[in-house]
This record gives sequence, C-alpha cells and structure tokens, in this order.
Amino acid sequence: MNIQDYIESGKLELFLLGELGEREREEVLTLAKTYPEIQQELEALEEAMFAFDQATGKNPSQEIKKKIFASLEDEFKPEQPTSKESPTPSSGAAPSETKVVKISPWKSFAIAASLVAILTSAAAIYFAGKFYDTEEKFVALLQDQQVMADNLNQVKLQYEETDSRLDRLVAGEFKRVEMKGESFPMQKDAKVDVFWDSNAQEVFVAVNRLNSLSAEFDYQLWAIGKDGPVGIGLVNPGEKFTLQQMQAVAEAGAFAITIEPKGGSKSPTLDKLVVLGEVVA
Amino acid sequence: MQEEEIIAGLRGQDRKTVEYLYEKYSRALFAVICRIISDQDIAEEVFHDAFIKITRKINSYDESKGRLYTWMANICRNSAIDKLRSKEISQSGKTNTIDDFVYGLESQSGTQEHVDGIGVRELMSQLNEDQKFIIEYIYFKGYTHSEISEEFDIPLGTVKSRVRAALQVLKKNIDSI
Repeated sequence: MNIQDYIESGKLELFLLGELGEREREEVLTLAKTYPEIQQELEALEEAMFAFDQATGKNPSQEIKKKIFASLEDEFKPEQPTSKESPTPSSGAAPSETKVVKISPWKSFAIAASLVAILTSAAAIYFAGKFYDTEEKFVALLQDQQVMADNLNQVKLQYEETDSRLDRLVAGEFKRVEMKGESFPMQKDAKVDVFWDSNAQEVFVAVNRLNSLSAEFDYQLWAIGKDGPVGIGLVNPGEKFTLQQMQAVAEAGAFAITIEPKGGSKSPTLDKLVVLGEVVA
Repeated sequence: MQEEEIIAGLRGQDRKTVEYLYEKYSRALFAVICRIISDQDIAEEVFHDAFIKITRKINSYDESKGRLYTWMANICRNSAIDKLRSKEISQSGKTNTIDDFVYGLESQSGTQEHVDGIGVRELMSQLNEDQKFIIEYIYFKGYTHSEISEEFDIPLGTVKSRVRAALQVLKKNIDSI
C-alpha cells in the first residue's frame, strides 16, 4: 500500500478528532505501529492541534480551577513523606514539632471539603423544598385561574342569553300577565309574571316571589285556553327576576302554575295551584 | 514531565500531577469546549465536568489507542457536543447559514475575544474558503465529517481531504503566531 496516499486521505485527522469507527481506528493504530511515517504524522498532527487549541484558547477562570480541585480533593492520595527524617533526633524538642507538622494540610482540606459538602446538601434540600412549595402554589394558582375562566365563560353565556331575551322583549309585542297566589292556600304571597307575545307565540316567565321546592317536585306553567290547560314548561323558582323562556302558546285566556311531581305532569294537579293570572284582553 | 510520568501520576491520584496537567492543558482543553459552546458559564461548567472525568477515567485510558492529549480533547469535545445537543441549541445553530456563522463569529461575545488578538484570525486567513468552512463547522460548531457531508451535500472523501488540507495549513503556520 502507498503510505503517502494513506496519510493524504485525511483519515489520520479524523482519527484524532475521534470520528472514526472502531474498525477504522484499529486500522490506523495497526498501520501506525507498522509504518513510522504514519506514527510521525499522527504525532505531528496532534502537536499541531494542541498548539492550535493552546493558541486559540483563553484560560478558564480561577473559580473553576478552585471548584475542580475542591471536587477532586477527596480523591488525592496523601503525599508520601518525602523528607528524610534524621533517624536519631539529637534534641528532645523535636517530637512535639513533628506532631505539629503531621497535621498535614490535606486533613483540614478534607474537613473543609466535607463542611462544604454538608452545607451544599443542606442548601440543596432547602431549595428543593422551596421549589416544591412554589410549584404547588403555582399549580393551585393555575387551578384557580381555570375556575375563574370557567365562571367568566358562564357569566358571559348568561349575559348573552339575557341580552337576546331582552332584545326580543323590547322588540316584540309582549303582554304582561301578573299571576298571584292571594286566592289560593298554597303560597299567599307568591307572585310570578308571564310575558306573552300572542303574535310571535312566545312566552317568558319572571319569578318575583316563589318558595323553593324539595327535589321531588317542580313548578309547572300552564296556559289555559279553549281546550283546557296545556303544560308549557317548568319554572325554576331559584332564578328570580330573570326571563325564563317557555314553550310557544298561540291562544290563552289565563296562565297558572301548579306544583307537580318532578318533570311535570300531563294535566295540572288543581289542589296544588299556586298562582293564577288572567290575560287582560 | 513526560507523558508516561503524567499518566502514572494520574493513576496514582497524585495531586501534583493533576496540578501539572491542569497548568499544561487547561487552556487548550477549555478552548476545545469554547469553540462549541459560546456561553462562558456553560463552557466552564462543561470544562469542570470534563476535567474531573479525565482524572477519574484515566484507568480506562489505553496508551496504545492514541496519545493523551487526543484522548482528553475528545472527552472535552464530546462533553461539549452532548451539552449542546441536550440544550437543543444545536438545531438552531445548525440551521444558520455560513454567513450568519461567520458574522456571528465577529459579534458573539466570547468567541471574538479568543479568536481575535492572538493572531488566530491571521491563521484562519491562510485557509481558502473551502478549508475555512470545514474548520469552522468541525472545530467551532461540533459537526462530524459525515454530518457536513450530508447536510451540505459534499462527498465524504472531499470533506476528508479538506480537513486534511486545512490542518496541514494550520500545522505549517502555527509557529508563526
């Protein structure tokens, strides 16, 4: 094989950049052992890369150096005592001195390092706690916000509904029929208004005063015409002073409300008549 | 210190050797990282981790598979590339046009400082356009040669020979700076 061609192929550079696959790496290494030219070229290229890196770089900061050596501190082997101590100390003062020397700096470094480690762990735990607290609050806030957004949506819908009803009420020719409970035993002070446009056949109910019912009963509105009473919807006693739309009615002489089992009945339970109002011609 | 001594000292977890290693190589190794990561703080963080990795993994370093500096530089380079990809900044980086990048060289803080001032600009100016392009992408943006080949539709062989040519020029001129 032609060594020069191999060197020229650019493979050695990629080898140094760590970009060759396992097979090609092995190939370069084997050839470098066999051909000194290739080995030399590799070394020269590495030198050049190092020189290039050295020239283009700047030194990392002192802090990072400190951090690195602090991280490595525990891993260093204690240094071998290099000083050749004189085997026979001539004076008695020596032993106390050697003791002072023996508390070698790595011990205090180790203590300092473990202190730092303990403090760091404590700080980590503290901040982790803070973090979770904050996250919980954040999630709670998000939920609150969602609830508020839902409420707002509901209110908006209600407003639009009311607005359109008001539009129809103003635009149409509605007659107001007052229904009262004075003449019936059920609720003497009950008062509900019906708004009826006989041309458009639209009926709205506005509750003024009406007791609330237990869950198994409903108020039902009746239109009483030539063919007798016709149920035209259930009235919600809770929605006071708003317009509740009922079913269409073309012809009626009076309106009445009775208490019926949940969901309403086909014909009114007359002994539970709550309010009645006649249409004034 | 000879390379063998350094390796032996590192394996013996000798503080003096690690200090020597730091003095001799930190600048160059940090440069390898800074080329790929422009943010100074992140680059230092990567350098911290990579340097510790070097001292800890020295037992898995095999002298017969390449020299010490190459091994260390590859650890730094790979750590930087890993970081870059984990941050998902590489995607935006790689879609930059060459012009953006060359222009970015001038304006990005950090890069300019060490590209300027030491004569590297002059060194780079010795390269022709093709070589400069290759060096910028491999050295400064952390591309592999096959990524360059794919992304810019340059045959793999051409990428290789351009890497070679560029490094030859740098090798010749490195003493002049």
